[in-house]
Amino acid sequence: MAGAIKRTTGLTGLAVSKYPHQKLGVLYGKILRTLQKIPETAAYRKHTEAVIKERAEILRTTPIVEEAEKKINCGQLEEVIIQAENELNLARKMLTWKPWEPLARPPPPNQWLWPPAQPVKQR
Amino acid sequence: MASLLRQVSKALRAPINRNIAACYQSRLQSTETANVEPPVETRPTVRKFDAVQRTQLKDFGKYVAECLPKYVEKVQLTAGDELEILISPEGILPVLQFLKDHHNCQFANLTDIAGMDIPSRPYRFEIIYNLLSLRFNSRIRVKTYTDELTPVESCNDIFKAANWYEREIWDMYGVFFANHPDLRRILTDYGFEGHPFRKDFPLSGYVEVRYDDEKKRVVIEPLELAQEFRKFELSAPWEQFPNFRRALPVAEEINVDKKE
Amino acid sequence: MITTKILNLLFILFFSCQCHSARTVTCDRKMAHQTIRQNLKQVKPILSLDKEEARKRVLSLYKAWYRQLPYIVKQYDIPKTAEQLKQKLREEFTKHQDIKDVRVIDMLVIKGQMELKETVNIWKQKGHLMSYFKDTWEPKPTDFLSKFLAGKE
Repeated sequence: MAGAIKRTTGLTGLAVSKYPHQKLGVLYGKILRTLQKIPETAAYRKHTEAVIKERAEILRTTPIVEEAEKKINCGQLEEVIIQAENELNLARKMLTWKPWEPLARPPPPNQWLWPPAQPVKQR
Repeated sequence: MASLLRQVSKALRAPINRNIAACYQSRLQSTETANVEPPVETRPTVRKFDAVQRTQLKDFGKYVAECLPKYVEKVQLTAGDELEILISPEGILPVLQFLKDHHNCQFANLTDIAGMDIPSRPYRFEIIYNLLSLRFNSRIRVKTYTDELTPVESCNDIFKAANWYEREIWDMYGVFFANHPDLRRILTDYGFEGHPFRKDFPLSGYVEVRYDDEKKRVVIEPLELAQEFRKFELSAPWEQFPNFRRALPVAEEINVDKKE
Repeated sequence: MITTKILNLLFILFFSCQCHSARTVTCDRKMAHQTIRQNLKQVKPILSLDKEEARKRVLSLYKAWYRQLPYIVKQYDIPKTAEQLKQKLREEFTKHQDIKDVRVIDMLVIKGQMELKETVNIWKQKGHLMSYFKDTWEPKPTDFLSKFLAGKE
């Protein structure tokens, strides 16, 4: 198996990527640049950067596709590419949403109370 | 096949554990004392929960709340091991997009959207999104609220599956979804008035339909049936049994400190 | 609902302005403003931002229905003329003439548009259209004997 050319991903509609390392490198660069615009204290930026940098490091050190897949442990590299595309899309939208700001307004009182009638005191 | 499954399930859980565990190592130690664990269940007929899974869900709930503090109002575990994120109505699109596209979430499947009517609340309708992550083999529930006249943002751009679910909610509860591409009735008859799943909709409906032999067509006529005064208490009928009262609360809240 | 409350308050404000002297007027106005602000709830609009916009939507919906009526008479096999349909259309719209809340008006306009689409695309059938005319409805019993015979108190 090792060294053989990968013919298919086995997933419908997902073609084999010829140069997954290169493609991922570009995507990760774009994501990191988008994250630069988010304030550093935002948890979303911290966690995403951690994930991206970890994956980028794995890709940098392991040029063999199968090994990199095993190390990343999140499906085939083609799937990892899709995940990166999604994350890039999300990060760009996050810039407009700004979800790291504090809660805009508190929920109305008793909105989330369940059961809606006052609960019976436990004895 | 079995070995494959085992391998897959091992692979699924591993990355999310590692990432989140790393983020929360310091915080977990501080909150563990504050969160009082329910007593260990020993009765043979009662379902036991997987403690590891519960801590994972709690950690994940905190993770979501930390990433989206603007929208998440509350995080809770229901029925022992079901994670619920309670959000404000403005946050539907950001939260769903985050849960779908973020590396550590990947809830790519919208299983269902449900509605709920609680007339005693200031915002009487609850909209409930059930999501499934095939990658990490886990489910999550996102809840938000609205009333009869407040439009809810349609999540049709994020999940194509939402189209018919939102039509169903519009039909059954009368919640208007803004920016829905094709909002129209899906279950009721053309010309039907009212929204059947609202609590104030009579059990018999407002009209009855029959074929009129004289007119050679179907006629719709008003229906009046004597109906007892309905009270919407929503309390369980077995409330009076002491064992029920002593049962653990339905949902347990996960503490999310919003200081940071 | 909320908007109606505000309108009522404005109404009170208006009258208080008319019957008091200038000084009390300003005072009243200030107080009224405060009460308005307290009762004012920020709500999300459905379609229209103000009454004028809502009115325009209602009018355009009315016009759209009105223009479709001749075709509806032709396409549906119903024992009504276009004139009768016009009367019915007017009746259906004037039924809601007292509604002042912009959001309620918007909701009714949305539902009216959906009805129009269902009618024009012939998703509805004869029975659905004729149900507007209520021609088989029995009048409600009024005197004792007919109530008794109908089995109603």
